[in-house]
Amino acid sequence: MNIGELVLVAIESIKSNKLRSFLTTLGIVIGIAAVIAVVGIGQGGRAMLMTEMEKFGTNLFGLWVNYRDGESFRIDDLSINDISVIKENVPQVKYLAPVTYNQMPLRGSKGQKTVQVIGTTAEYAQIRNLEMAWGRFIRDDDAAVGRRIIVLDEKTAVKLFGPGNPVGKRVMIMSNSAVVVGVIKSDSSMLGFNSQQVAYMPWSFLCRLTDWKVIHELQGSAESKEEVETAMNLAKKILERRHNAPNHYYAYSMEQEMQSANKVTGIMTLVIGCIAGISLLVGGIGVMNIMLVSVTERTREIGIRMALGARRKDILIQFIIESIVLCLLGGFIGIIIGYGGALLVAKLAKWPPLVSVWTVVLAVGFSMAVGLFFGIYPANKASKMDPIEALRRD
Amino acid sequence: MIKISKLSKTYSTGTFTVPALKGISLEIEPGEFVAITGASGSGKSTMMNLLGLLDRPSAGSYILDGMDVSNLDDNEYASLRNRKIGFVFQAFNLLPRLTALKNVELSMLYAGIKLEERRKRAVEGLTLLGLEDRLHHFPNELSGGQNQRVAIARALANQPAIILADEPTGALDSQTGLEIMSIFQELNRHGTTVVLVTHELNIAQHSRRILRMADGLLVADEEVTHPLDAREELQALREKGAEA
Repeated sequence: MNIGELVLVAIESIKSNKLRSFLTTLGIVIGIAAVIAVVGIGQGGRAMLMTEMEKFGTNLFGLWVNYRDGESFRIDDLSINDISVIKENVPQVKYLAPVTYNQMPLRGSKGQKTVQVIGTTAEYAQIRNLEMAWGRFIRDDDAAVGRRIIVLDEKTAVKLFGPGNPVGKRVMIMSNSAVVVGVIKSDSSMLGFNSQQVAYMPWSFLCRLTDWKVIHELQGSAESKEEVETAMNLAKKILERRHNAPNHYYAYSMEQEMQSANKVTGIMTLVIGCIAGISLLVGGIGVMNIMLVSVTERTREIGIRMALGARRKDILIQFIIESIVLCLLGGFIGIIIGYGGALLVAKLAKWPPLVSVWTVVLAVGFSMAVGLFFGIYPANKASKMDPIEALRRD
Repeated sequence: MIKISKLSKTYSTGTFTVPALKGISLEIEPGEFVAITGASGSGKSTMMNLLGLLDRPSAGSYILDGMDVSNLDDNEYASLRNRKIGFVFQAFNLLPRLTALKNVELSMLYAGIKLEERRKRAVEGLTLLGLEDRLHHFPNELSGGQNQRVAIARALANQPAIILADEPTGALDSQTGLEIMSIFQELNRHGTTVVLVTHELNIAQHSRRILRMADGLLVADEEVTHPLDAREELQALREKGAEA
């Protein structure tokens, strides 16, 4: 008797008691659906996170003081001359800009707001992929000529001047004033990275306003993804040499950040997936339970089959296949429900639904394994029956 | 066909050992129609289980169709049951969730016969027993007599060496019982070896040889000189019914 025939016998037997078969496999349905949904949602969320982070620029790197290892910030740690030296000596560095942060109250014709002001240079726009809504960003000649200008983001612009193009209008910064030359598009990032309100001005102008020549951080981008590592390490070496301060600087890259974020979301998906997997285990025990009942109930059938010439092996395989087919069936239903769930969440959260082929293959494989594992004991019990006893039973 | 010598079977339940068969020897030739009778506890069920290879003897030898089957393993027993023995039970023992056709196919399934061939032979068998319009009925949609005929078709499907019928009329009314007996007689006339286990003497009278058992021993082995003819009895019964 071949496996194909036995599969048919199993399907026949499952079909002949539809309600019970469904209830038996319900645990598997729920378990697989939970795993698929969790993994699908997790992978979708991760992909979403990655595209969000890529908006910052994948080739991005930064240099600052190595606070991590207890180094503290000195006012002359980063100088504007470092930038030109690094750019001359490290060909992998494409753009490099100073970044100085300062909270400042800004006042426009319609309102006021204290925002994060970033003092930087023209290249910052390329490094951070900034897009203009109106006007222009800081230019190289702004610093040279000493223009008193400011670039707002859309939200700040609305706050200060109301809707409409504010280019050419004046912003009061305490007792000073600056002319708005451009407005940056604030994109609606889901993760809220860009939700903070920011304004940009030439680094030299900010220094003059605050009377403090300081650079908090250097941000740059490399020629390519592969060169980020080299670019930032070489830049760091130059800083160490120029300031004679080994281990004083710390370099980070978006690539690294993405990798660690990837790791975190991966671990989270795994943990939640494992919890969902426990429900699969419970489902498997449910299958075993009903299979055991079914074996007892079908004692007579087993006896008849044996009398007609079924070997113990035939009975064993019949029940194992029944269990596997049952679990596979549950697995397929679970995949459909789980995928539906992941799709729904993805639609609501506006991120791509990702149920990889591997997840599905794994789910199918796992439900088969559950069927096999939890089917063996009941099947073994069935095959060990004494045909005379079995035939006598009602 | 069947040759057993000094066959005995002892059941042990922990401390007790109960001898069910105490050394029986007999021979059954091909084409015979034998009835084994005896009161309950006489050992006829044990005898039937041993003959049907559902159980192993404790001692003695059993030669079936020229082959010593006394010391075979479970798989060989299953295979021999499948090919050499056709069971007909008192309670029909059809699978309730399978149609008549599928039930008949079952023994051929375990013989490894291909689906088309199985289907063809099952249809032929059921047609021969007058059930050609009941192929796709389930056992609970059929009368007792029809169910027993499905069971007979199933027993015959693998062309076994013997038909082993255990109280085949026990669950049927007397007229239907006679119908079943007429089928066995008809089969026997065409050369099938039939072994019938029954405690009803008038049923046993349809065979051509009666083996009487008591206390695990064979106490009588008689030839039936004038076996009852189930067909004639049925005819008579119908005429009586028509008069009344």
